[in-house]
Amino acid sequence: MITAQDVGGVHIKYLYHCRRQLWLYLRGIRPESLNASVQLGEAVHDTSYNRNSPVDLGAARLDFLDGRHWVHEVKSSARPTEADEAQGRHYCHRLRNLGIDVKGAVLHYPKTRRIFRYPYTPEGAELAEADIAEVLTVASSSASPDRLSNSRCRGCSFTDYCWTE
Amino acid sequence: MTDVRDIIACAETDINTAVIALLNRHRINVHFLSYYGDYAGSLLTSATSTSGETVLAQAQLAKNTAASLEIAHSIVDSCAFNVRRVIDRKLLTRPYSVLQNTLRTAESAAHMMGAEGTFRRSAWEVLDTKLPDWLQLGGRSRRPPKNAGNAFISYVNGITYARVLTALRLTPLHTGIAFLHSSIERQRHSLVLDISEMFKPLFAERLLLRMVSRNQLKEHHFDRDANQAMLSDPGRKLVVQATRDEFAFTIAHRSLGRPVAYDELLYLDALALTRRCLEGTPYKPFRIWW
Ligand code: SF4
Repeated sequence: MITAQDVGGVHIKYLYHCRRQLWLYLRGIRPESLNASVQLGEAVHDTSYNRNSPVDLGAARLDFLDGRHWVHEVKSSARPTEADEAQGRHYCHRLRNLGIDVKGAVLHYPKTRRIFRYPYTPEGAELAEADIAEVLTVASSSASPDRLSNSRCRGCSFTDYCWTE
Repeated sequence: MTDVRDIIACAETDINTAVIALLNRHRINVHFLSYYGDYAGSLLTSATSTSGETVLAQAQLAKNTAASLEIAHSIVDSCAFNVRRVIDRKLLTRPYSVLQNTLRTAESAAHMMGAEGTFRRSAWEVLDTKLPDWLQLGGRSRRPPKNAGNAFISYVNGITYARVLTALRLTPLHTGIAFLHSSIERQRHSLVLDISEMFKPLFAERLLLRMVSRNQLKEHHFDRDANQAMLSDPGRKLVVQATRDEFAFTIAHRSLGRPVAYDELLYLDALALTRRCLEGTPYKPFRIWW
């Protein structure tokens, strides 16, 4: 259904957040347009860093690459997560494969005015490869992964789908 | 602007290319109703939610006779449940249990629709006993509606159809593959007909009874002649407004634990059917629970 080349930042993010979410997303369940928090995410995007135009990498999309080769990403959440880090790593990995000497990822959290730097390392490259392989495994599974516990679903834009009776 | 999902055009409308581009950019569908409130057609934004795998699962389910009859059964049952709930629980007890018995042994969707028709006829008769003479239906008639009551029902059903179409377009389901109505029928969105079944009584019959009891409907709200009727301009305004308010009305949702608008119920039902197709989870079509 998808190949390693098609794996993008959203897939990585969902892989870390909830495998079921990734599985559903790959099957066209896209509840985002109905969810207020996603619209907010887009608004943050538009206002905070409009001087820099996003770099389009096919499936991967990042906010901008600065002159010293750090990938920058703007997050609408308050706190960094493992998923955010994995996503940054994924973008670095993609750029490296394109021959760009990326130094690492910088994640911006305008809500709490915090900035995190994650240098790109050989271990990071291995993890990024493993994540891509894992996305493909979830993609090819014929059965849907189980739901997370109700409390961990809070705030997920797929709750309408997963929890409606 | 971002949370407008559809526009229902109830009067003559001109649309040009720039408007189409704007609507498409914001993913807003426009649905057109005829004078009678029949669904006339839509200007749909390009489908971004489709998914080959989901449509295949849906098609497989529709071709699986046992599975699709089960879905058709639950749709007809829920529809009748809601009709009874809205019109008269007591007087429709018998027709409802007759219907349920027929459904248990029905061997085709057409058979089920026939049984539903019989139940519906009893329900229309009971409904008439609660309406003033000039609003009585005397049986259902469409295109054109024979009288004021039918004109009202047609109009609200037309709006409901349009809203269900919008809801379904937000899911990856194919609107042409249905379980109760025959698929790809006369180029209609047959799945919209399926999902509309449960919601028509929630809006049309319920609103009619309420507006009658509040004495809101007047003869000048309709243009009538010997054998047909339609809403007059003031009538259409009134009915469109009342229906819109109804769609925006919110209730506490049981399993989601938050308030949802009636409008969202259509979408949630479409999601439940998506889950049935994709994951095989039992589909329990919408029933009025309050
Ligand atoms: S609602 Fe819960 S189970 Fe469903 S995708 Fe979101 S986190 Fe996963």
